[in-house]
Amino acid sequence: MNRFAIRCAAGLSVPFLLAACSSAPSSTGDSGSGGQVTITVGDRPTSSDPANRASFDQKVSDFEKANPDIKLNPVETLWDPTTFQAQAAGGQLPDVLNVPFTEPQGLIARKQVADLTKALKDDGLMDELNPNVLKIAQDQSGNVYAVPTAAYSVGLVYNRELFTKAGLDPDKPPATWDEVRQDAKQIAQKTGQAGYAQMTTNNTGGWMFTTQTYAFGGSIENADGSQASFDDAPSKAALQALHDMKWVDKSMGQAVLYDIDGISKAFAAGKIGMYMSAPDAYRTLVNVNGLKASSFGIGPMPQQGGDHGTLSGGSVQIVSPNATDAEKAAAIKWIKFSYLNKYVNQDAAVTSAKSGVAGKLPVGVPGLPVIAADQWSTYQGWIKPYVNVPLANFAPYTTVAADQKIIPEPPVKAQEVYAALDPVVQTVLGNAKADIPALLTKAAGTVNAKLGR
Amino acid sequence: MLFALPVLLVFVVFSWGPIVKGLVMSVQQTNLVDPVKWVGLENFRYVLTDPGVGQAALNTVWFTLLALLFGFPVPVLLAMFLSELRGKSWLYTTLAYLPVITPPVVAILLWRFFYDPSPSGMFNSILGTVGLGPYPWLDSPSSAMPSIVLEATWAGAGNAVIIYLAALTSVRADLYEAAELDGAGVVRRVWHVMLPHLRGVLLLMLLLQVIGTMQLFTEPLLFTGGGPQGSTMTILLLIYNYAFVNGDYGAATALSVLLALALAVLSAVFQFATRGWSTE
Repeated sequence: MNRFAIRCAAGLSVPFLLAACSSAPSSTGDSGSGGQVTITVGDRPTSSDPANRASFDQKVSDFEKANPDIKLNPVETLWDPTTFQAQAAGGQLPDVLNVPFTEPQGLIARKQVADLTKALKDDGLMDELNPNVLKIAQDQSGNVYAVPTAAYSVGLVYNRELFTKAGLDPDKPPATWDEVRQDAKQIAQKTGQAGYAQMTTNNTGGWMFTTQTYAFGGSIENADGSQASFDDAPSKAALQALHDMKWVDKSMGQAVLYDIDGISKAFAAGKIGMYMSAPDAYRTLVNVNGLKASSFGIGPMPQQGGDHGTLSGGSVQIVSPNATDAEKAAAIKWIKFSYLNKYVNQDAAVTSAKSGVAGKLPVGVPGLPVIAADQWSTYQGWIKPYVNVPLANFAPYTTVAADQKIIPEPPVKAQEVYAALDPVVQTVLGNAKADIPALLTKAAGTVNAKLGR
Repeated sequence: MLFALPVLLVFVVFSWGPIVKGLVMSVQQTNLVDPVKWVGLENFRYVLTDPGVGQAALNTVWFTLLALLFGFPVPVLLAMFLSELRGKSWLYTTLAYLPVITPPVVAILLWRFFYDPSPSGMFNSILGTVGLGPYPWLDSPSSAMPSIVLEATWAGAGNAVIIYLAALTSVRADLYEAAELDGAGVVRRVWHVMLPHLRGVLLLMLLLQVIGTMQLFTEPLLFTGGGPQGSTMTILLLIYNYAFVNGDYGAATALSVLLALALAVLSAVFQFATRGWSTE
């Protein structure tokens, strides 16, 4: 039992870590003489991933050739919530870093990202981006703090093989939550596997509860993010649906605790019929966890009582808050060159698709357009010969998702709100007699205290 | 003195510097980028009114109690048993120590697999053969913490066994011989020879275990993320969430200071209460 040494060290290291973070930030990047700008760029693949690393390095050298006044310093830093704060504080953040959609609002609130509005306007990139998706990276006055480079909306991932075994049509995923319940019940009865499962731990419980609440027509916070708004009818109905699937229909299996990793593994192992996720789950499920590509299916987010919309996911590029104007301009150029060029330049599109195929990465996974819609479809035409995913399996999603309204994360302290909602979902799935209205009222109290801080 | 200066300097800067800095941060509001704001005791007020802190404190104490009840006697008994074995004792010692060298993350992932709550899960299918279960293990608020204690005991017992064994080897062989000549069986040898010799080290290990278990972190983070229903949320996991998920360093350091204070008081009380026991 005595792992005391480690624990004592861990205990001591908490204040140490926290305090070590508090040194004054130093400026990254370096504006040299003669107009030369040096910026550090994150997300360089590690040496254990040589194919991607080589293609990244090639892109860096091509960029430097095309922009002789900008020098890039590529680093392997990836977005990691456990180290990000320390890096931000210590001035160790790369000037450009890829982060998921869950983060920009928190980063903006904590002033940990640069305001890119002017740099984007000067570059002209502002007009090329899809304004719907750009909302993810804007504050309430419309200033832009990040550049979206990949976007998806959450849908319903389902196992086509289990659908077939259960006597359901694999080309017709459920469109409403009533149908989800029906199908889940049928899968559980006919195959013995969980018909439906939901993430519940490490803030994913709150995250998916938010998605579900949106689909039932509800919201999590009021418009200015000052009050919790989830203790109302749509959230209650969403939780009631979960409760009934688990306890009345018994179609959700035994396991209650799932995070992204756990649910992906269980789904790929054929133990789950449906769960909420975005199309990019394809890579984790098929390439990492070995699900048969033919078993993967995704439909749009099921709605309830009207067409309300779904939560969006994806990634944005952020720029270090310490960057100078020249560094911001250089960062925008790099982001455009590295991530967005393929959408506007046929050669870049083909090269990127070819290297994806060579690196055995999924090419052509559908998503939401981060650039204007017509340009997006032109791009789809360019990469068509290289697509290596079964597009037909994504068809139920793609035919609906393009028009489905996307709703951003709660505007203030999204992660803290999700953390407060995790136990709510866990209680509903762990306790048949859970008092749903009381749980929501209590969680709203907790969230309001956090929002007021 | 001059020669000691560099060591002293390193100690002050790297050991006490951060502690003092942590104390300072507990009365500040900071995101580590903007200028800091002095908020007095606001952070302490905030964490003390957070309903999550009360539950986390109770969970932490619950883990410590369970660990004392089940985790503490296991290595003592194991060490006594091993010291009684003749021949090949190195083999048994190695086997007892083996779990300690398994990296905690690997061990926890492995045990998470064992604890699969479905009837086809590893433990459940073994127990199913004798008609028991299936048990929800980590997925029920009542059994999650005991399940974590079980894994932690398995993972950590080896360390303590080694320390107890070292203490037992210092027992003079003639004492055992004398006891045997007097006709003492195993139980009486343990009671009259081994335990008195272990008393000092037992007390120290007890204190270290209480301090260690109060800082439970890795297991709940990787097993359950603090769930289900907050039943495995510990103080240290909450500190981690405050700091690294919410970016609220003020609250995180305030709670760290409170935990450190509680442990200091506990240690002082323990030392005071057991002053007379540790010597014969």
